[in-house]
Amino acid sequence: MDIWHQLMQGFATAGTPVNLLWAFVGCALGTAVGVLPGIGPATAVAMLLPITAKVEATASMIFFAGIYYGAMYGGSTTSILLNTPGETASMVTAMEGNKMAKSGRAGAALATAAIGSFVAGTIATVLVTLFAPVVADFAVKLGPPEYFMLMLLAFTTVSAVLGQSTVRGLSALFVGLAIGLVGLDQITGQARYTGGVPELLDGIEIVLVAVGLFAVAEALHAVLFEGRVVETANKMSRVTMSGSDWRRSMPAWLRGTAIGAPFGCIPAGGAEIPTFLSYAVEKKLAKGEHQAEFGTRGAIEGVAGPEAANNATVTAALIPLLTLGIPVSNTTAILLGAFQNYGIQPGPQLFTSAAALVWALIASLYIGNVMLLVLNLPLVGLWVKLLKVPKPQLYAGILIFATVGAYGMRQSAFDLFLLYAIGVLGLIMRRFSFPTAPVVVGMILGPLAEAQFRNAISIGEGSAMVFLQRPMSLTLLVVVVAVLVVPRWLKARRSNA
Amino acid sequence: MPSSPSPSHELQTLVGLGVGLVGVGMALGALSIPSASGYAGVGPNFLPWVVAVALMLCGGFMVREARSGGFRNMEEAGGDRPYWPGFVWMSAGLLANAALITTIGFIFSCALCFVLAARGLRLAAGEDGGPRSWLADALTGLLIASPVYWMFTKFLAINLPGLTQSGWL
Repeated sequence: MDIWHQLMQGFATAGTPVNLLWAFVGCALGTAVGVLPGIGPATAVAMLLPITAKVEATASMIFFAGIYYGAMYGGSTTSILLNTPGETASMVTAMEGNKMAKSGRAGAALATAAIGSFVAGTIATVLVTLFAPVVADFAVKLGPPEYFMLMLLAFTTVSAVLGQSTVRGLSALFVGLAIGLVGLDQITGQARYTGGVPELLDGIEIVLVAVGLFAVAEALHAVLFEGRVVETANKMSRVTMSGSDWRRSMPAWLRGTAIGAPFGCIPAGGAEIPTFLSYAVEKKLAKGEHQAEFGTRGAIEGVAGPEAANNATVTAALIPLLTLGIPVSNTTAILLGAFQNYGIQPGPQLFTSAAALVWALIASLYIGNVMLLVLNLPLVGLWVKLLKVPKPQLYAGILIFATVGAYGMRQSAFDLFLLYAIGVLGLIMRRFSFPTAPVVVGMILGPLAEAQFRNAISIGEGSAMVFLQRPMSLTLLVVVVAVLVVPRWLKARRSNA
Repeated sequence: MPSSPSPSHELQTLVGLGVGLVGVGMALGALSIPSASGYAGVGPNFLPWVVAVALMLCGGFMVREARSGGFRNMEEAGGDRPYWPGFVWMSAGLLANAALITTIGFIFSCALCFVLAARGLRLAAGEDGGPRSWLADALTGLLIASPVYWMFTKFLAINLPGLTQSGWL
């Protein structure tokens, strides 16, 4: 009952004309960046972080959340119509969606993706509504040792488990941690790695790192390596679904949601695993000629399931972000940075200290999902036009927005040189297939994890045994070790057999 | 796996060495951070040392991978021949922007960056753009930069440098 009451309060806040407008602009912008290749939700939110200096917290969080899940809707449009996915999680959608589009069923694929995203997003939002307060109540009881272990788990999954190479994942994580070290130490106020440059005392801005690694690196990569790559677009068809499409899509949406939501809730990485899992499930469950469509003409289940799983994961990922303050993807890490800009630290206290903001944000998720359904079904033709923007203008334009983000934060031309340097770093990382998420997560979560670690040690009166003496922290430590060891052990066993 | 070091493996070795060097740099920096842990038990120099050692280890591992058949599980990199002139054009745009933004203002500086970056991208795509395309890019750059500037300065009240104090240019 209490939740219901607070949710209604949230709707009252989110439903004011100004906040509705922010939600709408966010959703529209999110869809646009989702559609446009070369720019994703993490980049877009990062570029717009300077607005946190002027815009009130609730409005800007609603805005950022709109971009965050709007991009998920838009991403599927690109991956169905173009042969280059905008973001990794829609890679699976691209596999079947592309096949469908090639056999003249682009419209049905777009429709099942949009409606599936809506269904999954709404169900997952209900889960956030119901479970986030419960998790927050539980999380209040966690002490620094447990928190540190949770963060260690997030670091481990994001760097060592996802991605192709543990060494490169860990290198990226430690580079991120190193960037996070620059500035004043939170506990003692000791300056670290500032080299006497006053600009560095405040640390390196998230905007710079995110925009440099994603936008600038992307543009540099495009000019160096993709000049001659010709993208082919598939033909659009009417955005409708037949009765049989509905019958095949509906169970797939629900299964996708059921697979995706739990993955979002645990601090265990992005949407790649649940989308692939959902794809595998759908392929296995399909029978007869429907199964034969997989990989040939394109099976609608193969779009519906993964797309739902993607959105469910992304929405449910707000639970660890809001209740524990632990981000598990680029975009949630940057959302955490946005909260920090307001002096708000997401965590269990958020539901009491900033209840109005949190509930308005949750209410806006419901509203945003409806907006996105409208934006993406009848208006999809509008977004498709964005795919026609020629590459030179697109990437050069992205650089202008990158400048706004990087310069707008601190008004320092020094930051623009730094931005270029980080862009070159990102280019090298991309070329040698280093993942970027660990850098961003490491940079943002690193200082928090360090503080928790040092607090934990002081609780243990200087002894690291504190992590083993508390049951919850010991359990988490075992999970971290398992996450590191089990996949390797399985692999070794398989190759021996 | 071919065992003779190919040029890409040489580059990979360099990347590994680079990561290791960052670790060494972090270690040198950590030397000057006091360990004064006081009540906390662990001081402000603890994490720097962890990061430094970890980066050196990662660098070492990568060098070893590079010397024994190359990085593991590499993604197939697309479009293998880098087009350096394009890179130079775009870099020039970005650096000119950084150097000029406070003197010629956001709009002109960004438009210049747009023109130079677009030039690089056009050349990379094999377009032969004549004077018309220069003009078109300059106009497009101004048309993107101006509304962005006005939106941020007028609507969001975020300071961006102008050529004049009016906030319009």
